[in-house]
Amino acid sequence: MVEKKPAVIEKEAQKDALELLRAPAPAPLVPLPIEVLVPEARQQTPAVRQRATRSDARTHGLGQTKYIDDMYLPGMLFAKIKRAGVASARIVSVDTKEAEAMPGVVAVITGRDIPCNTFGPSLKDQPVLADERVFHAGDGVAAVAAVTEQIATEALEKIHVEYEPIEPVLDPLASLKLETPGLHAPSPNIYGHKVIKKGDVAKAFAESYRVFEGSFRTQMVEHVPLEPHSSLATWDPNGRVTIYSTLGRITLGRADISRTLGVPMSRVRIIATIVGGNFGGKNEITTEPVVALLSKKTGRPVKCTFTRPEEFMSSTTRHPLIMDYKTGVTKEGRILGRQIRLVLDGGAYCSWSETTLGKACILSAGPYKIDNLYAEAFVVYTNKTMTGAMRGFGAPQVCFAYESQMDDMAKALGIDPLEMRLMNALEEGSLSPTSQKLHSVVVKESLLQAAERFGWKNGNGSANGSANGSRT
Amino acid sequence: MKKRGRGIACMWYPIGFTVAANPSAAVVKINEDGTATLLTGTVETGQGSLTILAQIVAQELGIATDDVHVVSADTDTTPMDTGAIASRTTYVTGNAARLAAEKAKQILFEVAAPVLGVKPSQLEVADHKIQVVGFPQRNMHIGDVSDRARGVNGQPPIGSASYNPATVALDAETGQGKPFATYVYATQIAEVDVDDETGEVDVLRIVASHDCGTPINPMLVEGQVEGGISMGVGFALEEEIMFDEHGRQRNPNLTNYIMPTSLDMPKIEVDIVDSYDPTGPFGAKGVGEPTCVSTAAAILNAIHDAVGVRVTSLPATAEKVHAAIKAKRAQEARQITAGAA
Repeated sequence: MVEKKPAVIEKEAQKDALELLRAPAPAPLVPLPIEVLVPEARQQTPAVRQRATRSDARTHGLGQTKYIDDMYLPGMLFAKIKRAGVASARIVSVDTKEAEAMPGVVAVITGRDIPCNTFGPSLKDQPVLADERVFHAGDGVAAVAAVTEQIATEALEKIHVEYEPIEPVLDPLASLKLETPGLHAPSPNIYGHKVIKKGDVAKAFAESYRVFEGSFRTQMVEHVPLEPHSSLATWDPNGRVTIYSTLGRITLGRADISRTLGVPMSRVRIIATIVGGNFGGKNEITTEPVVALLSKKTGRPVKCTFTRPEEFMSSTTRHPLIMDYKTGVTKEGRILGRQIRLVLDGGAYCSWSETTLGKACILSAGPYKIDNLYAEAFVVYTNKTMTGAMRGFGAPQVCFAYESQMDDMAKALGIDPLEMRLMNALEEGSLSPTSQKLHSVVVKESLLQAAERFGWKNGNGSANGSANGSRT
Repeated sequence: MKKRGRGIACMWYPIGFTVAANPSAAVVKINEDGTATLLTGTVETGQGSLTILAQIVAQELGIATDDVHVVSADTDTTPMDTGAIASRTTYVTGNAARLAAEKAKQILFEVAAPVLGVKPSQLEVADHKIQVVGFPQRNMHIGDVSDRARGVNGQPPIGSASYNPATVALDAETGQGKPFATYVYATQIAEVDVDDETGEVDVLRIVASHDCGTPINPMLVEGQVEGGISMGVGFALEEEIMFDEHGRQRNPNLTNYIMPTSLDMPKIEVDIVDSYDPTGPFGAKGVGEPTCVSTAAAILNAIHDAVGVRVTSLPATAEKVHAAIKAKRAQEARQITAGAA
């Protein structure tokens, strides 16, 4: 708003000078109740298949949606978490005295203050704040509650942590080797393993016209929601805590929070606000036990919102995969057998790796009829950011591998990629890799519909398609 | 020089997850004026799920989307839900909401039946009315029935239900079994330009044909597909968390972690494939996650089509594509030299 002004100043300098000095006005308040002109689709029956606008569309459009960062309770404090910054180390000591002495700092906690310092959806291998051992650089080691966000941030610099470094394991293939010491000893680094076995792959390869091999890799990515993780806790005098949270799954979140705090579930209330993006990244507790403990210690409401770097370093990410594919086909392009090995980089903690492992393994064959299959998947610990649930749970990774190989095979056999897919696609009643009889199967329909719309058979998108001008 | 290419990729994706039971519960209260309130433990995380649930309840009760108010995501007031995860909300929570609405509706049928002189099983709902099957002119307004349920019969219409998809545990050795109740299917086709001198990839157009069972709200399906594709474009070409040799992230910020903006988005054409799943609420399955699954594969196949190089690791950054083109040319040159010799 201020940036747009200069042109006006030149014309009406004196008149606007005073106005310019004023702070920018907040978004104009909308008088409530709002006279809502309800869009027609919301008033139609039958309701299903209507293009009904969302019930939160108006508040979003007016900028009136209240996220946790918009919430302020009287006397509220701001919390910040000290991050380890080293990927693998033993914690020798944490000295919080200097931070505690800072004006404006109300309380400091460390990993040792967490009543039950483990959680996780399947393996409980993750601490709320690291106490003995740091497993990745984004681990929290202490937290501060202060009267302003700035003081809390500055106080983190006054917390002195002494580490005894341990050689980090960063390569998932190295972690897969049995001689590599277990990060979470005595547990081995391979913490999840899955096999899908059907038919006889060796026999299928022997009968194949050609056997294709390929190796594919994917990277680690973040969910990058617009709204970072945030939570706000406040206790009532009866010893009951209410936590506003960006969690996407409050039922299981409450179980984890009550367990880590050592408080019965009846004394924990979780309210999830409208969340500004999840994509699988907000399926686990992060700051909730920290704000609850700081609030209990100070007797004041405490809020903590992740910074953008914390969102990258201290929340879950997508599993990088190393995928080896071996596929036997007939001369006509029918897939006879497929052998797959997947290695998932599980990062520092298990999180949702078991689900990702299972889905990746089952889906890795692709939406194709394959009678002979051997798919094996491993997930291993490394000293990197933990990987967990993310939109697709391993599916985008394996799809990249099986569809890349599909095109390579089609090209080598001289078959159109669309035809090769149609020839192998699952059909109504087909058996899945786990021998589940499938219903409402529409792979072929989706292939044909997309091809029709794209103009695949007219040569759209291909080099000659653009040359002869058939593109729409 | 810019080279054009096209790539196709299809996929399948399950609705729900494997590790444990996957239940949702719901409560539906019909108010005295025939509007309704749904209590659900799921969370609106931006995908529009609360609107979908309102439409499902409205459909079951024969009322409009706007007539259903949804209260969500409070452990004190809303029933158990496994949460906004694994593309399960429309299918699992939707089934629970529909069943809860059906139970509340049954109370209205019992109240209306003697007034209309029929059995409850002879009644149906349509456009804010409870009417006799085959005789739509014999009807009562849903609000009148609901008010009568409270004021005359003393039985306020409320229903609660839960749903857990039927699955069969996998065999530990062979992995055989029924891990998911249902699956969705989709195809995406990408059209790209690849600059063979710089390796830069420009995604021009993506056609996406997605199955989601019955689209409860086609507009929200389109929104999911467009969002999923933007995530897929980033996964294919740009996004990557990088680590230094000590295991620390090198780019934990939006300056150095490159993700697509609106200007990087291709032209997207969404098609909803006609499909009906008898196990889903009104035939619906789900759509959230599957939308981002085949995008990267389609783009990488289009790069292969355009310049003849197979990039086997994501993301296919300009540097990586350029290096692959250079390597291919060097190899071709060697073959020519070898052929000449």
